[in-house]
Amino acid sequence: MAGLRIHLSTLMVRASALAMTSTLMAGSALAQEREAFFGETHVHTGWSFDAYIFGNTKTSPADAYKYAKGQTIKHPLGYDIKIDTPLDWMGVTDHSEYVGTVSLANTPGSDIAKLPIAQKLIVHSPADIQRIYLWLGGTIVDKKPIEELISPEVAGSVWKQNVGMADQANEPGKFTAFCSYEWTSTPNNRNMHRNVFFKDCAKVPLTPFSSIDSSDPSDLWNWMDGQRKEGNELLAISHNANLSDGHMFPTDVDEKGRPIDAAWAASRDRNERLTEIKQIKGASETHPTLSPNDEFANFEILTYLLGDPSGRFPQVPGSYIRQALKDGLAMNEARDYNPYKTGFVGGSDSHNTGVPYRQNNFYGGHGHADGEMKQRMAGFLFAGLDTRLENPAGLTGLWAEENTRASLFDAMQRKETFATSGPHIKVRLFGGADVAAAVDQADWVKAAYASGVPMGGDLPPLGDGKAPSFVVWALKDPTSGNLDRIQIVKGWSKNGQSFEKIFDVTWAGNRTPDQFTGVVPPIGSTVNIADASYTNTIGSVELKGTWTDPEFDPSLDAFYYARTLEIPTPRWTTIQAKEVGVAPPDNVPATIQERAWTSPIWYTPTKEQRTTVKGTTVADLQAQGATALDDKALNDLVVGKTTWVRNTVTGDVFSIAWTTSGQRLIGNVNGEIPKPSEVGDVFHGGSLGAGTAYAIKDGAIVTTLGNMPYEATVYKVGDKYFAARSNEFGFANYEVVPTPQALDPLDQQKSPF
Amino acid sequence: MSRHRLQQILSEPLLHFFVVGVLVFGGYRFFNPEPEQAVDPQRIELTENDVQQLAISWLAQGRPQPSPDELRSLVDQKVTEEILSREAVALGLDRDDQIIKRRLAQKMDFLVADLAALEEPTEAQLADWYSKNSDRFALPPHASFRHLYFSPDKRGDGARGDATAALAVLAGKSADALQAQTLADPFMLRNFYGDSTPAQTAKEFGPAFAETLYGLKPGAWQGPVQSGYGWHLVWVESIEPGRVPLYEEVKPDVKAAWLDARYQEVKRTALEEMRSRYTVVAVPLDDVDLTNLNSQDAANAAQEPVSQ
Repeated sequence: MAGLRIHLSTLMVRASALAMTSTLMAGSALAQEREAFFGETHVHTGWSFDAYIFGNTKTSPADAYKYAKGQTIKHPLGYDIKIDTPLDWMGVTDHSEYVGTVSLANTPGSDIAKLPIAQKLIVHSPADIQRIYLWLGGTIVDKKPIEELISPEVAGSVWKQNVGMADQANEPGKFTAFCSYEWTSTPNNRNMHRNVFFKDCAKVPLTPFSSIDSSDPSDLWNWMDGQRKEGNELLAISHNANLSDGHMFPTDVDEKGRPIDAAWAASRDRNERLTEIKQIKGASETHPTLSPNDEFANFEILTYLLGDPSGRFPQVPGSYIRQALKDGLAMNEARDYNPYKTGFVGGSDSHNTGVPYRQNNFYGGHGHADGEMKQRMAGFLFAGLDTRLENPAGLTGLWAEENTRASLFDAMQRKETFATSGPHIKVRLFGGADVAAAVDQADWVKAAYASGVPMGGDLPPLGDGKAPSFVVWALKDPTSGNLDRIQIVKGWSKNGQSFEKIFDVTWAGNRTPDQFTGVVPPIGSTVNIADASYTNTIGSVELKGTWTDPEFDPSLDAFYYARTLEIPTPRWTTIQAKEVGVAPPDNVPATIQERAWTSPIWYTPTKEQRTTVKGTTVADLQAQGATALDDKALNDLVVGKTTWVRNTVTGDVFSIAWTTSGQRLIGNVNGEIPKPSEVGDVFHGGSLGAGTAYAIKDGAIVTTLGNMPYEATVYKVGDKYFAARSNEFGFANYEVVPTPQALDPLDQQKSPF
Repeated sequence: MSRHRLQQILSEPLLHFFVVGVLVFGGYRFFNPEPEQAVDPQRIELTENDVQQLAISWLAQGRPQPSPDELRSLVDQKVTEEILSREAVALGLDRDDQIIKRRLAQKMDFLVADLAALEEPTEAQLADWYSKNSDRFALPPHASFRHLYFSPDKRGDGARGDATAALAVLAGKSADALQAQTLADPFMLRNFYGDSTPAQTAKEFGPAFAETLYGLKPGAWQGPVQSGYGWHLVWVESIEPGRVPLYEEVKPDVKAAWLDARYQEVKRTALEEMRSRYTVVAVPLDDVDLTNLNSQDAANAAQEPVSQ
């Protein structure tokens, strides 16, 4: 057994070994030694203009690094805050719109140093500081401003100081401080924000590209391309897709209104390697509307638009990562490009310089607005946002060889990343044809690296007749709850429709999966809500398992990511309700299951494999002489009638009742059959008897889902009717059929795909 | 203007649009009220220097020379911004605006803080300062230890008892006793830790384990010690106690800390100096009526727009 094998691989030894062998050995050998480094991709200090407004007036990026390393700092309201588990790395991401100051005067060759005024500002002795200060103060009192001080040449100097502080906090091997900033684009209250990370602080530009330059992400990517060409490696992380009003993951047109094309997709893929899946203002994995069959989808859902514009609410489709991953597959199938092969990170978006990661140490994220417990628990409306809906920060794990800027950046670049909801849960995911074989060996990680790909990668060719298998592993945070289960979330696409399904892979205790659904029953709960406590008497310390896709079809695009759940623990609102002496708020759950998400592994069929499947497209129908129905024909076909429709991809047959009052209800929904991307709500509502409005307009039936209109165009070929729906990329997947005699004849099992 | 009315205006999207312009130019205007206002308020003049400055900002972001079209668009943007900010100021939108006030305060903060960054300490200053603050640089203890793991996943509630029983078997045995291999469970991380600080140990095993570990005597199997993963028997090879380092060992850190302290001090004295030029008249705080402030109006008044 491995119990006494002594690993003398301290960091120093490994670092020198790395240096010696790096020229000789392939990446995979080094990869076997990768460790998980936890860090922060998203935090603001008093240098962010809005943080300053929230009362964070005294702290700088240097304080954020101190906090990350474990030092106590002050909350903007004056009380002490301290991190529970110090971090391995951090990038401070203050907003890029900075003010100018005077230090460039002391930099020979800088624009301001060349000005005559600089002579007065240069410091030769400590006494000069007082002299300069009084001189500056005097000019203000006398209302004789120093024009040179307010010119744009100095605008970069705060960024320069920021870089200096990162350099100072950076301790290779111990703690990595990145040079980074936030590009803060919020057109029409839509969160389009990106955090930009640089690999090497020595190469950063004098000033960052800000949202004042452009609020369009493709302009940011163009600028990033230019930087990369100059040898300055960098990447962007999108965040708060959940607050983007459907604009974070478009499928048809970009922010300029131009059709999305291969160049746009390539540019996004090249620059935007990662996306933030959870932070203080909510999770962006998925939404119960989009994933009605995922019983864990309702996790820290936050519905909000920045600035709380009246008369609007955010659109759900286009705002969540799982759907973007699915749409990316469908786009790859239909158009041969995938803009959404994104890895996952977690972050905070704290504006307090310090970051709360734990349910039992939650002090808000916005200075005075949510920093006081009673105000927070009263459901204070912070610019329209109920502070009880906020939650602790997410966290990022990177699998890297060593704790240095270069090594960690490369991990982000290759998407060997995972996100957690806050605890330091460690998770691994490997995929390949034979990767599961070695799982019981003591050095299974080495074997997995050698025979498969880690999270963030693409499955290698599997060989004929082989399905991909996966190894998942998770280790609990020693200061948090035990583990409940590890799941694999699979997405796939066929004929422009994309689907998802969740498989329980390994779990704690002696639970038996449901005979028919395969779902493992809930683990139960040890939470005492009144006492806001729990015990680790259920759940596992460590989980490890293998899984081979039982429904694998080599002709279909697919992705797989692992989701690990902790046992239920009290949410921060339950803990603070006890402290304040009130009942836990009823608009949020009393308990939550902390979790971790690995970046996905993708499967892409070869061109030859792909051609074996092809559905009917609108172009095919037109070639057969189909005519598109106009408004009158659509009216005649559906209004006041019930139509039976067959989804030709899934084989599912369902009914749609169209009322004359403009409501439609989907009936006879088969709960077991995966529903195509973005129509979860319509089907879900159907099984509950809740209708959805529809209208016939410009030759299409328009249904609105989560604030987003969906259009179905109906074509007539001979005496048959086919429909094509938006978001299915040119396929016509629905056929009007006669009323069936039986929906599920016992002798005809529906084929799973 | 009532707080309520102000609040209404603050939530106008149009205002948010103005604010950007006002932030950029309103701030400058605070320092520099004459040139733009004393001259014709309806005239916007861009000198060669102004255009060069636009180009400098463009180039500073690491982009190539702006094309004529790009330059035209920069000028256009600048003019639009200037017009909007002038119109906003003419409407008085900059007055009584908490955002603008705090933005200006932030700028002043930067200005003051910058001065602190300009000073280089002498060697003597640093050494003297270190002698008074050396406890802040104390090095943590380091422990080298190996451990045996008793997993609750495998043993349930029996993990602790099994560890105790194993300890009895291992009493008097060496660190690499062969029996040890058969007594414990494989551990997910490492079995041996060299030169681990309390912070590193706490990160790996949880704080309670770390607290116990540095109190153990080297050279024998001890425990059971509980970690966040279960129970352990621990063999400490050595513990190097914490100590205060020599100045020479930590010179760069001392300098960084000195600059930090200096920064705080300069900020403080600068604020004191500024404050000395003001007369502040505030009502005695004991006389302020703080009851009944939790009304809806009060909540709204405290609400501030978000940029995030």
